[in-house]
Amino acid sequence: MSDTLPVRPFAAFQPIAAARRRFRAWWQARLPRTDTLLLTQRNIYILPTRAGLMYGLTLLVLLLASINYQLSLGYVLTFLLAGSGVVSMHLTHNTLRKLTLHLRTPAAVFAGSPVLLDITLTSPDSARFGIGLRMEATPRDTLTWTDVPGVGRAQAQVSFVPPQRGLHAVPAINVESRFPLGLFRAWSVWRPSAQVLAYPRPEQPAMGLPLVRAEPGQATTQRRAEGGEVEGVRSYRRGDPLKLVAWKKAARSLEAGGDLVSRDTSASVQQALWLDWQQCAGLAPEDRLSRLSAWVLAAERAGASHGLRLPGLEIPPAHGDAQRRRCLEAMALWH
Amino acid sequence: MALTAFLPKWPGWQRLPRESRDTLFLLGVIAWTVLPHVLHLPWWCGLLTVNVLLWRTRLALINAPLPGRWVLMAVLAAATALTLWSFKTVLGKEPGITLLVVLMALKTLELRARRDAFVVFFLGFFLVLTHFLYSQSLPVALAMLVSVWGLLTALVLAHMPVGQPSLRQAATLSLRTAVLGVPVMLLLFVLFPRIGPLWGVPQDGQATTGLSNRMRMGSVAEVAQDDSVAMRIRFIDPPPQPQAMYFRGPVLSRFDGQEWRPGDSSHSAPRSELQVRGPALRYEVTMEPLHISVLPLLEATAEVSPLEGMRAMRRDDLVWNTDRPLQQRLRFAATAYTDFKHGPVARAISLREHLALPAGFNPRTLAWAAQLGADPRYAAADARTLAQAVMNHIRTGGYTYTLAPDTYGGPSARTAIDEFWLDRKEGFCEHFASAFVVVMRALGIPSRVVTGYQGTDPLPVDGYYLVRQSHAHAWAEYWQDGIGWVRADPTAAVAPDRIVRSRHLVPAPGLVAGALGGINPQFWAKLRGAWEAANNRWNQWVLNYSRGQQLALLKQLGFSAPSWEDLALLLIGVLSGLSLLGAAWAWSDRRRQDPWQRQAQQLRRALGSIGLSAEAHESPRALGLKLRQRFGSRATALVQLLDALELQRYGRAALSRPSAPWLRAVHTETRLLRRSNTAPPPR
Repeated sequence: MSDTLPVRPFAAFQPIAAARRRFRAWWQARLPRTDTLLLTQRNIYILPTRAGLMYGLTLLVLLLASINYQLSLGYVLTFLLAGSGVVSMHLTHNTLRKLTLHLRTPAAVFAGSPVLLDITLTSPDSARFGIGLRMEATPRDTLTWTDVPGVGRAQAQVSFVPPQRGLHAVPAINVESRFPLGLFRAWSVWRPSAQVLAYPRPEQPAMGLPLVRAEPGQATTQRRAEGGEVEGVRSYRRGDPLKLVAWKKAARSLEAGGDLVSRDTSASVQQALWLDWQQCAGLAPEDRLSRLSAWVLAAERAGASHGLRLPGLEIPPAHGDAQRRRCLEAMALWH
Repeated sequence: MALTAFLPKWPGWQRLPRESRDTLFLLGVIAWTVLPHVLHLPWWCGLLTVNVLLWRTRLALINAPLPGRWVLMAVLAAATALTLWSFKTVLGKEPGITLLVVLMALKTLELRARRDAFVVFFLGFFLVLTHFLYSQSLPVALAMLVSVWGLLTALVLAHMPVGQPSLRQAATLSLRTAVLGVPVMLLLFVLFPRIGPLWGVPQDGQATTGLSNRMRMGSVAEVAQDDSVAMRIRFIDPPPQPQAMYFRGPVLSRFDGQEWRPGDSSHSAPRSELQVRGPALRYEVTMEPLHISVLPLLEATAEVSPLEGMRAMRRDDLVWNTDRPLQQRLRFAATAYTDFKHGPVARAISLREHLALPAGFNPRTLAWAAQLGADPRYAAADARTLAQAVMNHIRTGGYTYTLAPDTYGGPSARTAIDEFWLDRKEGFCEHFASAFVVVMRALGIPSRVVTGYQGTDPLPVDGYYLVRQSHAHAWAEYWQDGIGWVRADPTAAVAPDRIVRSRHLVPAPGLVAGALGGINPQFWAKLRGAWEAANNRWNQWVLNYSRGQQLALLKQLGFSAPSWEDLALLLIGVLSGLSLLGAAWAWSDRRRQDPWQRQAQQLRRALGSIGLSAEAHESPRALGLKLRQRFGSRATALVQLLDALELQRYGRAALSRPSAPWLRAVHTETRLLRRSNTAPPPR
């Protein structure tokens, strides 16, 4: 989904840029996805920078001056700078070579807010300086710089913003270096295999939570029908008070090799808050999800137990981080 | 005082914010690079540069915003106007360098983006090169090496964006880059074909000190202050006496009353051959770029070996002319004869210009000469007798040899020689030479001024006799019927010491130099000798490295008839060979494995040979357990080896590379186990 590059209007009017973009997309699609990338000769590219070309021009002028004025020291200077330039090319390449990049699986976020990608850079030998990281799609000067100590590791963070909910592959990351002289730029393009889950963007400003409806019809009739004794059972959780244990059922359950059984009182003690697709009538589907997402957050903040109903999906009311994640994940992947 | 008021209090190098520190460092490097230029650029340029750099320093220290573009444009326009005012042009060497220095200083006020920083670096490299236009001596080379190092350090610093890297770290990294680049430099320096200038360069001969084609009272006094080396002479045959060492430069025969110039060589009608007697004196010369079209060679040099890149020919007045000014160091061999005769034997028309005196100049000297000529003692005297008489007058007439005579011709330029000859009577070689020639001409004897060098340093250094600019000298020649031109050195009459011991014109030492010299003259002489030797090597091996040496090198490498095309081919060949080697290394490096991984692979293979399947993720300890289960006590040695491996890799004294003996031991043990495996394992 995220592999599609941002479409610019009037792209048709820039055939070269479009061709370049297409070539880059084709090229990147060939790169294998991996969460741990070892930079080697094969995946590092290197080209002179604009400053490097200027340096070459400077050397040419210095050489011409040396020839014309017959300056032996001019030759020495020119050739010393030329030698340093050639060496700097190797040093720039060596800055990236043998470096290992590792991406920690990123945490889920809300669509529209940045995902922080934690990247660990490991150098097996010497210290590396001036390594810049950025997302491939961002402009060139938005680099995050880091140095890697010798036989050590360094952390760097880059971020990208998933535009909409869903499961996104982490877009390509560019790692580059111009160290030491800035005459050459060595870079590598890395396509991590990690995926980021983006929850629906919470509505801003958030609407108030829907009223807690006791839903008298269902809950009470159900209770009566069951004989008022058992509202529902669940397996015993550590910390359940003893009076909550449904002893009769527990005995039966234990006989069958099961566990203790407690009465599930939440539904009866607290009123269930149902966050329902139907409650957001009149909104576009994505906006409904946005509102529901905001509601889930509000309900968690309020400490209210909440359930979620989407067309074709129902999550029973519960409370806590797990419930929150369950709801948000369901909404992120719902279609 | 003003400086401390202008610049804020120094917070200490460590406490500066990174950006200020880097800027200050760059400013320091720029100042170091620009500083030597201040001496030979117009005063306003130095003043402007120093002020701009100080201003920038202040801005960096107080962290103030940089001035707007308009300010810079205004200053640049003013600098261009001043350059035009100083040089009447903006083209050429000196105006160009002036503008470059101003641009460099102004660019520091515009260090905003990385691109600006690069512009400063590139301008800096140009500035370094411009110093070599003035001097390529060892100290200049060392100073500029520091500049290049500083510029590279600043460049490295600009590419270490994280944290606050220390200057020392950046300097080490840049030094490493440069040192690794040295082989490339050497290769290119040795093999890059030296070709002549691609197009004519503006000549700046008159601007530098040394001999010139003109002589005006006072111009040789400037040379006398200059202790730099003009040429180095190595005599193959025994060296001549010091008083015979006259190095003949431009011969000046035309006198307009104030200035001496070379004569017109067009009507040197009968070619007068140089007649030589006695043994030949062969010698080798390394001549500094003297910026004149004359080779000042020993009198009388008959032959000169072919020069590199130019032609030399001997004129009738014995001057060796070249077709181009000497802009580079030259090395050649020559043959001289100290016993010689030259010039027309009989009175010729070409002598007429050596009698001309401008009308209305120096009437009292002319009257003095007429009085001498009217003396009955000299009624029928020949040129030699008259010359002797004038020399006698110089010796006994109360003349003083001094390097600091006041200027002559103060009241009127028309009576400069009158003033010297009759009134003040103090001067140095050029005063004596020109007055002598004027008097001789007034007596009706053809004569002319010869400039050049006289004498060398008394002791040779490394076998080379040094002729310094301070050996510059002027003497005279008069024409004697039946003989030709005869040298007469009137300075010898007043300061024989100057000629005999060829003590060069050293001005009275200053207080400090006097004190230093007083401590231990021998020590200083020794130090100076060592320095001259180093300098000589520098000249011979670095500065004088030219196509001749390149072709000689090729000859040594086995080329029979080397040309510069061979050089180019050799250079291209070596460079492509090295690139191929690099490519091969890269290719092999691609398949190179981590040595520990290779060892692990070999270990797994060895264990596989005894039927134990080892997985890549299994640690040596786990493999040891497996072995013990499978082979029991028979594998004890192997298990111990595996435990040792664990220590080698992760123990306190872990090895950095796998040990080969260990692997050999493993192979031995597995072989033993394999053999015993054929027998049924004990159950």
